[in-house]
Amino acid sequence: MEKNNIKKAIESIIFISERPVSSKRLLQVFQDLKRDEIQKYLDELVNEWNAINRGFKLHEVADGYQFRTNSEYSDIIIRFKQSKPFRLSRAALEVLAITAYKQPITRVEIDEIRGVDSSGVIGLLLEKRLIEIKGRKEVIGRPFLYVTTGGFLETFGLKSLADLPTLKELVEIEKSLEQSAKVY
Amino acid sequence: MVSTEPCLIKLQAFEGPLDLLLYLIKKNEVNIYDIPIAVITEQYLMYLEVMRELNLEIVGDYLMIAAELGLIKSKMLLPKPEVEEEEEDPRAELVRRLLEYRRYKEAAGTLLAFDILERDVFTRIIQDEDDSDEINQPVRTDLWSLIEAFRALWNRKDFSSISNISLELELLTLEQKVSELITKLKTHKNVLFEELFSENPTRFEIVITFLAVLELIKSGLLIAYQDFPYSPIQILYVGDNPPYYSKVVDEIA
Repeated sequence: MEKNNIKKAIESIIFISERPVSSKRLLQVFQDLKRDEIQKYLDELVNEWNAINRGFKLHEVADGYQFRTNSEYSDIIIRFKQSKPFRLSRAALEVLAITAYKQPITRVEIDEIRGVDSSGVIGLLLEKRLIEIKGRKEVIGRPFLYVTTGGFLETFGLKSLADLPTLKELVEIEKSLEQSAKVY
Repeated sequence: MVSTEPCLIKLQAFEGPLDLLLYLIKKNEVNIYDIPIAVITEQYLMYLEVMRELNLEIVGDYLMIAAELGLIKSKMLLPKPEVEEEEEDPRAELVRRLLEYRRYKEAAGTLLAFDILERDVFTRIIQDEDDSDEINQPVRTDLWSLIEAFRALWNRKDFSSISNISLELELLTLEQKVSELITKLKTHKNVLFEELFSENPTRFEIVITFLAVLELIKSGLLIAYQDFPYSPIQILYVGDNPPYYSKVVDEIA
């Protein structure tokens, strides 16, 4: 296939896909190509879609590539879809954040950090497929271990967990909070 | 106490005892590393008292921290040994927990700042032919969706006056509500979840009706279902005419 056409072929695959398309998956289809060649086409596509300023862009999320609308049109899209915007309770966000940073983690460990029982919230997050069970901890009672899912990365538009602010950065935020608190 | 109402609003916003403590520390503008335990404990217990008065069923976890605060307070009252022993501040463990919790609370906040799918950004929706059938099937509503619907109702209603609770004299029992619902559903067969509640329900009515619905679903007299995921929850009475409804029930199950 001609070089320019390969790029368009990759683009069309991403276009018709429901979930983010990984370079690994593309490698299975374009058997003659090497991984870094595919990566080069993907990077070019991301840049081109960024440059032409349309209603959507090509995003790298959850170890793959996906077309996503620009955030400034969210209101109008929600009106069009007559859907409810995605929402999580504060409790759910807390459990999700703790799981994201401390995974794999047990329910008791999450409860310990929050100071309250989190089983209901964990059930909700499991159902929304934002977290999942990955094995058991080898301690008394062999409790389940929870981890975040690919769906978590997709929901928050993260390439990988490394996209989250580091705990060190969070400590920095804390410090600045304390500074501003002292000003009062 | 001047008014309990502001307390009520605040209480709903606390995610737990640590959250409440962080709030009190912030409200009193005190240093988290040097918490005036006596003052904070006193205020903490006051909030607990308000919760108890409102019969909020969350006091268990709060009591654990209350006990811990009491212990720290008594330890701090003990005379310090003359010799400079490197003894740990009795507050150290609590401060460590507060800081850790605050860090993840902060992290939870940062999650909201991302471009969230189905809130800020959207993808193409592709309906596979294979499962389009499945999508058109009604789905049985699970407990969490019911609780979500309950919470939505709870939050939407503006319960302006607290006196509503205390002055409510025509309290129904759960049994009465259950039979009331059955009568209503026998005539209508199939209603929206929201239609089970009156126009301006009190908090009590919302709770008792919800409990009655759960009770009836548990005993197999009602089925909660949705035409497709995330569509409005509907309640179907299947109590005493199984043959007629069995087809629908089969479809849903």
